[in-house]
Amino acid sequence: MLMTEKSYSIRSRMLGRSALLLLSIFFILSLGVWHYARQSANYSYDRLLNSASLSIMEGLHVYDKQVDLDLPYAAFEMMQLADEDKVFYQALGTKGELITGYPDMPLPSKFNEESAIAFYNARYLSEEVRVVIRHKRLSEPAVSGWVTVVLAQTLRARHKMMNDILYRSFAVLFGIMACVMIVLWVAINRALEPLSSISKSLASHSLLSAEPIQTTPIQEVSPLVSAINDYQAQLLSNLAVMKRFIADASHQIRTAQSATQAQLDIASQSQNLADLPEHLNKIRKEHERLTRLTNQLLTHAMVVHRSDTVANEQMDIEAVMKQLLTECVRDNAHRQIDFSYQCEQTLPLFMGDSISLCEAVRNLLDNAVYYGPEQNLIEIRLQADLSGIDIMIDDAGPGIPIGLREKALERFQRLDNGLSGSGLGLSIVASVAQAHGGDFFLEDSPFGGLRARVHLPKEGTVCRSE
Amino acid sequence: MSQRIALFFIFLVMASKVIAETTVLPTIWEADRLTIYSATDLNAIAPLLDTFSAQNPDIKLEYREFNTQELDRAIRAKPLADQPDVVISSAVDLQVRLVNDGYAQPVFGEAVEALPSWANWRNEVIGFTYEPIVFVYNKQAFEEKTVPLTHESLASAMRIDDDFFIHKVGSYDARRSGIGYLVATQDEVTSSISGRLQESLGRARTQVYGQTSMLLDDIASGTLIFGYNLLGSYSFAREKRDSRIGVVIPQDYALVVSRAVFISKQAKHVSNAQRFVNFLISKEGQEVIAKKSELMALTPDIDALLSRQNIQDQTINFHPIPLGPALMVYLDDSKRRRFIKAWESALLSINEDQ
Repeated sequence: MLMTEKSYSIRSRMLGRSALLLLSIFFILSLGVWHYARQSANYSYDRLLNSASLSIMEGLHVYDKQVDLDLPYAAFEMMQLADEDKVFYQALGTKGELITGYPDMPLPSKFNEESAIAFYNARYLSEEVRVVIRHKRLSEPAVSGWVTVVLAQTLRARHKMMNDILYRSFAVLFGIMACVMIVLWVAINRALEPLSSISKSLASHSLLSAEPIQTTPIQEVSPLVSAINDYQAQLLSNLAVMKRFIADASHQIRTAQSATQAQLDIASQSQNLADLPEHLNKIRKEHERLTRLTNQLLTHAMVVHRSDTVANEQMDIEAVMKQLLTECVRDNAHRQIDFSYQCEQTLPLFMGDSISLCEAVRNLLDNAVYYGPEQNLIEIRLQADLSGIDIMIDDAGPGIPIGLREKALERFQRLDNGLSGSGLGLSIVASVAQAHGGDFFLEDSPFGGLRARVHLPKEGTVCRSE
Repeated sequence: MSQRIALFFIFLVMASKVIAETTVLPTIWEADRLTIYSATDLNAIAPLLDTFSAQNPDIKLEYREFNTQELDRAIRAKPLADQPDVVISSAVDLQVRLVNDGYAQPVFGEAVEALPSWANWRNEVIGFTYEPIVFVYNKQAFEEKTVPLTHESLASAMRIDDDFFIHKVGSYDARRSGIGYLVATQDEVTSSISGRLQESLGRARTQVYGQTSMLLDDIASGTLIFGYNLLGSYSFAREKRDSRIGVVIPQDYALVVSRAVFISKQAKHVSNAQRFVNFLISKEGQEVIAKKSELMALTPDIDALLSRQNIQDQTINFHPIPLGPALMVYLDDSKRRRFIKAWESALLSINEDQ
């Protein structure tokens, strides 16, 4: 997790986002409700207009060879159902002449007498009105043709009805939204409750106490609890390993120091000057042992530390191995040891920590030199297959019996072969192999001695671009 | 009292088209004035104006009296800039049509909301009185006869007692009087016997009048013995002063006209007009109407009216004419021609034949 991310409350964020979502749903629904309210108000009052205009049409008749209108009282009483609305009307004769009513009613630009009835909105006497226009064909001997009734009504009752529907629907919608928000609030609080109870028990919990956190019956939360417990157990075991390592290391260093000290004491109390070179030689050997131990301890610490912190880099294993072998040949030029190098194929590049890998291989080479006979044969063999890269160091030394090989990998375990060693070298190699996701094996060498094989997995390899 | 009124009113003009078109006063006076065009006897409404003026001494009232149809014509003829602030008329049909045609603006106030629905349309035209349409009779003439108390009994009385009623019945001239036309048409809408009654009225050679006061004068003097469909407010007022006449609220149904007021859309003194209209329907204004004026308040003391008639266990079916667009039906030119023709042939044909 990036530390730059601002801290936030999941509760308020969830509530806020739900509210936002609900609000947008509310907005969309409101549009629908508005449309519905408008339509139903229009529908209802259009029917009223329709019936009234029909009733007025009934009042149209031919009298004395002229179309005349006997305006029905019932039509207007019907219109009064919209009790606050103004009413305007007009009757037109067969030639479009005014029979009676308001003379300048807003008419559609084109009469379509085929459709008996049409509705439209208009403006009349500075009021918004809904107009119905109705046609009827008169065919009497004296008069024949289309007569027209225009009836208009202001929109107050429609708006009132529409607002009424809107307010009611909004009230219901708001109620639902409020309920949902309350339910959400309760649900979120309920869902987050285990989190706070875990944090509470963690806060009152000592990290180093062996006691695990109490398990929970909540299925969603128990993985977290067991993960924390696993983590704690791992931490505790690591801590135990560390403690043991420190105890072992201090024991080793103290032993070496006291041995050196004892040799120094013997040398300083010796009367015989002739013995001095022998004493000095012993002291130098003890000191060499101490130095080697210290170096290996430091190397171990470095390797372990590096595996935790250092980012991997691309490395060419062949080049590194050749370099190491060159150094080793140079350092052991005074010995009768044959070094060889074998690599039959082109190895892919490897993503790894070259320093710790070098250290591991150097350790193996040193071991081969150190524990091997005077006339030794040491070979670095590199091999790549589908599963990864193998680095093998073969020697012609005494080897390690199969039963002891596993033990040899443990720290501070020295095999009883009469040669002094720190007991850390192989364990460093194992740590490095592990840090790279690989493995470390001790096997039989074709030269009769030991083969140390470091297996690096394929995941770390990179195809060569060459 | 009339002297005092004259002091308050800048103008006091009896219906006259010529004077109604006089130019308005200089604008300096505009802010504290209120122009009222009304089809109401000044005597009847004076106490109301009086009280309003006393409460608002800085508002100068300008009151012009018209008859109902002249008032309608005057409002329609005037340019928008010259419209009065408040228009009052008992011809509610004409008032409703003026409002329908966009001459009014809404009145605001708690009192408006409290009005009965028949007395309020769109908050724009408001009824502020309660005036039953009544029968008026000459007491002396009916000394020995029963006064007809319903439309039904009046129709049969006129048919049976032909000689008694002939030439002696009076009513409004539906052609000239706005209120006369309104009640005649509403009779037709409300009642099924109106045709028969018209026929009887015709046979009795009913005399037609343009104004209530002249009708009442003739009934009091004995020229007429019975008045049909008179405006209750003026009749009751006259009955109080003049013992020669009696007033009957018809029992089968009594139409009720509510004098309607609206504030002109182009009113120049809107706040004054709002105050005035709210005063008319306020408790105080209604009290003045009930106690001091010749008009009748919206919630009249009906028991007092009934007790004067010595009727027991009788309820009267009051039928207030609701304000609304239906009132415009009979104002339709074609409808009006048709109605007047029928009315003339029923009431006047016999007179003209002779």
